[in-house]
Amino acid sequence: MMEKALEVKTLNFYYAGKTHALKNINFPVYKNSITALIGPSGCGKTTLLRCFNRMHDLYPGNRYEGEIIFNGINILSDRIDLIDLRSRIGMVFQKPTPFPMTVFDNIAYGLRLKGIKKRSELSERVEEALKHAALWDEVKDKLHVSAYELSGGQQQRLCIARALAVKPEVLLFDEPTSALDPISTGKIEELVIALKKDITIIIVTHNMQQAARVSDWTGFMMLGELIEFGRTDKIFTNPSEKLTEEYITGRFG
Amino acid sequence: MNRERLRVMQSRIAFVMSTLTALFGIFWLVFIIGDVLIHGIGALNINLFINDPAPAGVEGGGLRNAFVGHLLITLFATLIGVPIGVLGGTFLAEYGRDRGISRFISALSDIMVSVPAIVVGTFVYALLVKPLGHFSGWAGSVALAIIMIPVVLRTTENMLSLVPWTIREAAFALGAPYYKVIIQVVYRGAATGILTGILLSIARVTGEAAPLLFTSFNNAFFSINMNEPIASLTVSIFQYAMGPYDSWHAQAWAAALMITVFILFITLIGRLIIKWRYKR
Repeated sequence: MMEKALEVKTLNFYYAGKTHALKNINFPVYKNSITALIGPSGCGKTTLLRCFNRMHDLYPGNRYEGEIIFNGINILSDRIDLIDLRSRIGMVFQKPTPFPMTVFDNIAYGLRLKGIKKRSELSERVEEALKHAALWDEVKDKLHVSAYELSGGQQQRLCIARALAVKPEVLLFDEPTSALDPISTGKIEELVIALKKDITIIIVTHNMQQAARVSDWTGFMMLGELIEFGRTDKIFTNPSEKLTEEYITGRFG
Repeated sequence: MNRERLRVMQSRIAFVMSTLTALFGIFWLVFIIGDVLIHGIGALNINLFINDPAPAGVEGGGLRNAFVGHLLITLFATLIGVPIGVLGGTFLAEYGRDRGISRFISALSDIMVSVPAIVVGTFVYALLVKPLGHFSGWAGSVALAIIMIPVVLRTTENMLSLVPWTIREAAFALGAPYYKVIIQVVYRGAATGILTGILLSIARVTGEAAPLLFTSFNNAFFSINMNEPIASLTVSIFQYAMGPYDSWHAQAWAAALMITVFILFITLIGRLIIKWRYKR
């Protein structure tokens, strides 16, 4: 049996104003695997993703019910230290989000938050993270220029490197390639696949081919419900649910 | 063909009109600055900076007291106004962004920006000068700070709001607490804009005479005591320009030139800082 990195148990989520956005979600996330969440717009896949690092807590009135178990602890509990949680479960957003500072300072940001101040250690960790994100060769001579001078695809890999620098156990990707061209998309996909030997990945994507290409497990969502969860090859070739089949074959969505 | 000709005509009319209005505006600007330059440069001499005013009717003398007083009043106004404005703007754009009180304060600040400076002057007169029984440099600084605050506050709020939310979320997602997100990420993104707002507000208050007439008033002698009435360039210009002596008029021109140069100087510094920041 594979080890679980996370387990979602009877999760319900309500946005402020009582929208019931996630309805009774249950599924496991296995260690060192890639789990894709697919489904039509507004189905709740991004909402679900943002539960794992409690991003919803930034906005008042949002409410979780149920559990997400991470290392034996329910991370939806009030007693969870969100700062610690977010350094262990990182996130990469839809659009590249470089900070208004140099490439180096971007990567070092999370490290400095953790209290690492020594220049030599910072340099080492920054280099390591950039190599991990397959960006080192492209930016090694540009470490001290503004991150805004990189291309869109490079900025997105910079954000991945920034998230990797703090050595998270899980990395959440929210449609990481939807703002990128096909070549940059290809590089990010290769990178995501290469990363799974070290960390667990959950990726939300609009692009079903992408889910099929990169993921090991797939969850199909609709109207706030997880319709089907299973091995990616099974979901895409022999789904159990009629709705899944209809979505996969492009009959709606 | 006809429609095309009409379109070309419309384009030409728009071009000519906008050019003419631009020239009209620039004409007055050049006229005023040119006048200040011509009269001001002629009146400039070293005595203006190293001598205090001569007794009325006596030739010579300078405006050393007014230069120093003006700098002091503006400096302390900036030290009072900028922190309040920046922190207030931070509250409006960050911690209080969804609250009704924030929208109320924003709207109020917009009104405050266009309140006549003389009203602020009389307000501070009633608040500080009357109760304390005398004019003072502090009262002048407070009056100028009150004029600065809404400008700095609204600029800060607007500049912070321009920093995309996803950038903040990205910082939160790395485990940053809110105050670090604001100081380390959002302020950096908005720094050049906020700085521009601060410099504009300094430039704005530097040219004010009305609020100082009621607060720091004037002082014929050199003083750096902010508890006393203190001379300022703008009030000196007012007094000298209205006065009966040609030497006063000349000194008023020179003072006007120096204020204009000072404002130019602030603006240039601002631009240099912006350039330097972008390079890093």
